[in-house]
Amino acid sequence: MGVFESSEKFEEVLVGFFRNLGDTPSIANKLLASKLIIRFTYSDPDLVVLVDCSGDKIDVRPGDKDTKAEVEMSMSADIAHKFWFGKVNLMAALTRRQMVAKGPIPKILNLLPAIKPSYAMYPKYLEEQGYSKYNIH
Amino acid sequence: MGGYAGRILYVDLTSSRIEGKPLDLEFARRYIGGLGFGARIYLDLIRNRPDFDALSADNPFVLMTGPLTGMRMHAVARWTIGSRSPLTGFWGDCNIGGFFGAELKFAGYDGIVFTGEAHTPTYIAIEDDVVEIRDARKYWGKDVYTVNDGVITDHKGKSKKPGQVLGIGPAGENLVRFASIINNKGHVAGRTGLGAVWGAKKLKAIFVRGTGKLKVAHPNRFNSLREDLKHLYDGNITIEGLRAFGTASHMDLGIISGDIPIKNWQRTDWDRIDEIGPIAYGEKILTRNKSCYGCGVGCKREAEVKEGPFSFDKGPGPEYETIATFGTMCLNPSIESIGKANDICNRYGMDTVTCGSTIAFAIECFENGLINENDTGGLKLTWGNSETIVAMVEKIGKREGFGSILSEGSARAAEQIGGNASDFLTTVKGLEAPMHDPRAAHGYGLAYAVTPRGACHTASPIYSILGLGMYQPEIPELAEEISEMSSEGMAKLNIACQDFGMFFSNCAVFCNLGANILMASHAVDLVNHVTGFDYTIKEVMELGRRIWYLKRGLSNLFGARAKHDRLPRRLLTPMETGPTKGSVPDMDLMVKEFYKLRAFNEKGIPTKEILEELDLPELAELLYPSSSPPGHLHRLTMPDT
Repeated sequence: MGVFESSEKFEEVLVGFFRNLGDTPSIANKLLASKLIIRFTYSDPDLVVLVDCSGDKIDVRPGDKDTKAEVEMSMSADIAHKFWFGKVNLMAALTRRQMVAKGPIPKILNLLPAIKPSYAMYPKYLEEQGYSKYNIH
Repeated sequence: MGGYAGRILYVDLTSSRIEGKPLDLEFARRYIGGLGFGARIYLDLIRNRPDFDALSADNPFVLMTGPLTGMRMHAVARWTIGSRSPLTGFWGDCNIGGFFGAELKFAGYDGIVFTGEAHTPTYIAIEDDVVEIRDARKYWGKDVYTVNDGVITDHKGKSKKPGQVLGIGPAGENLVRFASIINNKGHVAGRTGLGAVWGAKKLKAIFVRGTGKLKVAHPNRFNSLREDLKHLYDGNITIEGLRAFGTASHMDLGIISGDIPIKNWQRTDWDRIDEIGPIAYGEKILTRNKSCYGCGVGCKREAEVKEGPFSFDKGPGPEYETIATFGTMCLNPSIESIGKANDICNRYGMDTVTCGSTIAFAIECFENGLINENDTGGLKLTWGNSETIVAMVEKIGKREGFGSILSEGSARAAEQIGGNASDFLTTVKGLEAPMHDPRAAHGYGLAYAVTPRGACHTASPIYSILGLGMYQPEIPELAEEISEMSSEGMAKLNIACQDFGMFFSNCAVFCNLGANILMASHAVDLVNHVTGFDYTIKEVMELGRRIWYLKRGLSNLFGARAKHDRLPRRLLTPMETGPTKGSVPDMDLMVKEFYKLRAFNEKGIPTKEILEELDLPELAELLYPSSSPPGHLHRLTMPDT
């Protein structure tokens, strides 16, 4: 079994974190500037989350499979978890298809500086929200 | 024979004798091309008189293309040079892109071998079968850009094609130990200072113009595979990343994993890094993308700063390694100043990796009171001082004041500065480490330690495998699960990378960036379709292995021993925070395993038995002379760097 015991728990943790990022102006402003709509499709456990940066604020919509997204990212929940700790080599993961990205690659790469501070935020978020058992020490 | 031009040019600068010798097919099959040809020819030239200084007339210089150089397709424009390095004292080599290799083959030559030294400044002019040694006195003292344009103008009118120039700048003439050799102003043979070998030989430039065409042994197979590969390239994230941002894209990727050295390898994070990242690069200095011969990847960059203290004319822009050495390493947040430092290095002809790293080292010496403004001619060598960094680059190129000390490279400079300056070094075998941190991927640590030319991330695809996403499922050792921050299994992985890499990027001379996405079978098939040979993956691994020992043997012959297969303390100091927190490569474990698997003795020399098994009896005889007592190793006088 992976890190997260159920889709519900994974959704609770990840969507909470995404909304946390959306409430952090230094990150949110850069994401909003991209105007991108990104759909994350996770497996083991399964989850779909749409992050809509096309409006005035970041809109995180779990379960949205219908909205047309410019970028589609798919990966396992464990890889996603490791990624937010900054412990995934993005290029290696993409090459070995641990992550699959579809969409305008320059725009995706442009997001990397925007989300850089999030790697430090994720372990703190887990700790503060009572999810410390998921922390990687 | 397909692919090869069929001749190698031999130029003796002392006697002015020029000879074109036919390429032997059996030799080509056995050594493939590039550094395979170069290292073998070099060994044969020095085997009767192997004790000489890198800057003496006795040091030959080899320039060799690969069988695919000059083919119109992605990522095969590259070619190689090799000689004894003035910086390290050991074997030195470079893998270069651009246009010179293709043009040389169109002129009918697979490579050039230089011996001796000219009496006066000289350049070589090659126009198909006409090869001349010409007077270069009017170019001596001139920068690379001036020489490039001047030589092309001198040869204008004889053909519609402008031709290609490969040349050195004032740094090479001044014997700066990390002087480079540059084609078309921005395609640089930088590492290990072979530009100074040219300077010592008074060889300023080579002009080449060719009208011939290269043959392909199986054109239908070649064209078909080339078409198929287009689909592999389209939409691939590595290629699209390179197209969109060039190698600077690694500023955003490497910072995530702690791969980018910051403040002379003391940190892995810096809140101003985005000011020199790919987006800032694009907004502030980029003018357009450029590429090498026949390649559609287009990862090269052209840059310009129109006004201000760092203004420079439109020309080749800085690559990732340059941005890191003059930027993150020196805590310099000005992308304009990095562009300017790059421009000066290109014009003077200097390796930006050693130059920037040596300045970062000097800044730390300044910070710790080992040198002061009296030593530096009034320059405040402080972190982030963009103006001073740029000023020091120029002083190094001119060998002026403190720049003269730094022009020797950081290892020799540390000896002159004294005190605990050596604590701040980041060199292996005297070569400053490239901008990828072994604390983020332990396998780099072993690669840096044991690579024949010193700290190097391009001699094998270890960096591509661990950091850039190369995946080779057809080679079992390269398809295994990888844990970057582990030292377990890294000896085996490095060896497979060295053997494959010797074929891939050293001999067939595929590009380490643009060809990164090819499977091993693609690479082997391309070589077979072009040459008509019938290599298998197994065979190229075996040939690569043999040539790897040949290169290692050359460094051994020049004095490389086990004590040189070590990382500097700075690269083994764990970080207290960040993505690599607490991570340190276990060098003892990795080197021990590596020596065992490579059949090295405790002195770091391949055993006589393994050299004979690999059919390298000449190398075995040089390293274990039969006239010497048992166990005696041939050893030359060498700097202890």
